[in-house]
Amino acid sequence: MRPRPVLALVLANLRRHTRDRTGLFFMAVMPFVSIIFVGMALGGGTVGERLPVGVVAPGGDTATDTASDTATDTASDTATDTVTAAVLAELRRHPDLEITPVAAKSELESGVREGSLAAGLVVTPGSSRLDLVATENNGSGVAARAAIEVAVGRVSGVLAATAAAEHAGSTPQQAAHLVRQAQSQTGHVTVVDTESPGGEPRGFAYTAPANLLLFTFINSMAVAAAMVESRRLGMLQRALTAPVRRGAVLMGEALSRFAVAIAQAVLIVVVSSLAFGVRWGDPLGVAAVVGVFALVATAAAILVGTLLNNPDQAPAIGPSLGVVLGMLGGCLWPREAAGETLNTIGHFFPHAWGMDALLALSRPGTGLLAVLPELAVLSAMAALLLGAALILFSRRTRAGT
Amino acid sequence: MSATLSCHGLSKRYGDVVAVRDVGFSIAPGEAYGLLGPNGAGKTTTISMLVGLLRPDSGGVTVGGVDLGREPLRAKAKIGYVPQEIALYPELTGRENLRFFGRLFGLPRKQLAGRVAEVLELVGLTDRADGKLDTYSGGMKRRINIGAALLHRPEILILDEPTVGVDPQSRKAILDGVEHLVAEGMALLYTSHYMEEVERVCDRVAIIDHGQIVAEGTRQELVAMVGSADKIELVLDGDVDAAFAKLRTVEGVLEAARTGDSSVRLLAEGGRYLLPALITAVEGYATVTATEVIEPDLEATFLHLTGSTLRD
Repeated sequence: MRPRPVLALVLANLRRHTRDRTGLFFMAVMPFVSIIFVGMALGGGTVGERLPVGVVAPGGDTATDTASDTATDTASDTATDTVTAAVLAELRRHPDLEITPVAAKSELESGVREGSLAAGLVVTPGSSRLDLVATENNGSGVAARAAIEVAVGRVSGVLAATAAAEHAGSTPQQAAHLVRQAQSQTGHVTVVDTESPGGEPRGFAYTAPANLLLFTFINSMAVAAAMVESRRLGMLQRALTAPVRRGAVLMGEALSRFAVAIAQAVLIVVVSSLAFGVRWGDPLGVAAVVGVFALVATAAAILVGTLLNNPDQAPAIGPSLGVVLGMLGGCLWPREAAGETLNTIGHFFPHAWGMDALLALSRPGTGLLAVLPELAVLSAMAALLLGAALILFSRRTRAGT
Repeated sequence: MSATLSCHGLSKRYGDVVAVRDVGFSIAPGEAYGLLGPNGAGKTTTISMLVGLLRPDSGGVTVGGVDLGREPLRAKAKIGYVPQEIALYPELTGRENLRFFGRLFGLPRKQLAGRVAEVLELVGLTDRADGKLDTYSGGMKRRINIGAALLHRPEILILDEPTVGVDPQSRKAILDGVEHLVAEGMALLYTSHYMEEVERVCDRVAIIDHGQIVAEGTRQELVAMVGSADKIELVLDGDVDAAFAKLRTVEGVLEAARTGDSSVRLLAEGGRYLLPALITAVEGYATVTATEVIEPDLEATFLHLTGSTLRD
């Protein structure tokens, strides 16, 4: 395949796109309007925000605040209050949790119900019992519960290790020293649990990836109108009378759309990073997700551009389709609010998989490997759509339509 | 001399409908060949097969000695095709559109700008080259449309209704340009609804109807198919029967027929020059109140062969 005809089509289409003022507005302005307003409505955070967990403890603020010593202190004092304080200290150290003292259990339950708290803990005076308060179908609640279980597990581990040392003949002081030593040696190891459900970021950290997917797809759909117009004008037919293979013409059309989709995505990544401080995560992972999603959008655009007969249909149908898929994929509102059924339906379409991948990548320590399943699904979708587009394009251009 | 374009046995069927049946002709270098036919006659299907857009069910096309079916890219490089519609990007300038087609046809980068300038000069749009196409008049768009097919210096130019919807000035410019190209040795295949354009530009003409070529030849050869006699229509006032009897005896009148109570139709050689004798012959019986002389032409031939006018 000669590159010049492909390049000719790409250059011509990009030039046409840069002269479409409405298209440029939707590409360069609208995504950021959406990111700003929806992001502010969601709290305006720029990174994955910490989940608020309320704690009702005897002594209120004092109980939670004094529980800031290391967990090894609990090894030397087996009093139940100290155990509770150690658990709370662990929770306060957790990077995803924000521990908030709450005066009464009823107030805590109310906060969880209304969503101002992701979960809550009620400490029973004089006991090591902790009551967890969380809703069943709330992603933040599930994430908070997982984090609490990890903290409790760590304290249990320290207690068990201390008891084992004492059982082996160590004095409580020696046992505490041994446990502290063991802790310092394992302190260099960072464990990232990618299996347990994590809380989704809020504010700009959520709306930036959401709008990247939304507008990359919508603008690709809108650009499909130019392809319908090319067909209507007879440009594609005429191009096929040149010494150019059918595949080269399709490649030129596809690359033009892909370039627009990538430009849209890069613009959102760069501007949201610089202006809103959004942290996207592993660059390689983000590039892979954005690239594959842009391919999906490109394939969908070519399919629409080949199927429709009137260029006026594309701006009417394409963006509407993009908005609906965006809704199902959690691009218009947080997925926590959508419910399980809608989220399940959403995963029949690319946006939900794109969101899964981008939100996962925004968590510290997550890389390309963690989003391979999402990339595989998106790649399969892109291949399916591109295949269908190729067959239809070939049929339509042969039929002279 | 070998043909620049030749086709033989071209056929195309869509389901039960035969769009083109056994079409064949050849065009020599520097020859202008016209394809005439009413709407739906199969002109566009034939052209689509000639430019490689449609694969024929049977038959073949050779361009400059290259078989279009076997070596489509080499064959297409020798064709300049101007579709009936304005197939250009309206958002781009005239120059940008030409550069696009130049790249598409693989013009070397160094030659592109120079060749685009030459073609702009040829179609008379150098001054407007950098204006966006959607600011052009219909005639200017048509000229760029033709220019886009000339960039790669094709051996044959295929023009499908190139003057539809243009003003007389642009039409003249287009026809002058086409004649200039043919005079320089480029082969031409021309389709048009305008009989006078075909008569002016084309050396040979094929008349296509119901997917088949029903006649082919020079203008003179085609006209001769319906005879060389003129038709003379006369409207008479007076004793029409007696006048009709006298008209039949006039020397040069080949046939005579009553076409109404007061009208007669005569078939005669050199009808225009026979009119004074006809008027003299009926003196004393009737007065000639109206006359019309219809000389044989391509339109008459077309009507005779297809039973319809070109614009039906």
